[in-house]
Amino acid sequence: MSNVAVDVLLGLGAAAQLLCCVGVLAMRTTADRLHYAAAGTTMGPLFVLAALLVREQLASHALQAIAAVAVTLVGGTVATHAIARAVRTTMESDSR
Amino acid sequence: MNAFLIAALALLAGFVPLGAACLLLRPIDGVVAVQLGGATTTLILICLSEGFHRSSYMTVAIVCATMTTAGGLVFARFFGRLAR
Repeated sequence: MSNVAVDVLLGLGAAAQLLCCVGVLAMRTTADRLHYAAAGTTMGPLFVLAALLVREQLASHALQAIAAVAVTLVGGTVATHAIARAVRTTMESDSR
Repeated sequence: MNAFLIAALALLAGFVPLGAACLLLRPIDGVVAVQLGGATTTLILICLSEGFHRSSYMTVAIVCATMTTAGGLVFARFFGRLAR
């Protein structure tokens, strides 16, 4: 039962991440692409982390994985916001 | 070959559209693709560490996540100043 849960969570995580990667290429505007990039720093990592926690519970390397995913979540959000501000600055200077 | 190694292999395919985005789109869109590429790399490293049962490899994933954040901020700052 636990193996099935791990497989399902890993499949969902990989599928979500691949969808976000394709979305970055397929979308028309930079803001739309940023939405996909932001989703890629939340959905995929959380699913993969959930799969790892189901398999390993709270072993030492599971704690390290929690740290890596937490940095990805927080850092991804901050970086996405910073990139969005840079995009806005670029658009404003283009319109002048 | 376990599920985590298969997931790592599948995630590698995500670099194809991201590489295409870097090559074909505007530079600021390339930064977006690089940001997502960093998150994908972190996931691949986590999956490889778990797949090979090497807990010490997880440190590389933490470093990758930190450097991706720092790199994204540097690029954002660079492009913001370039536009002014």
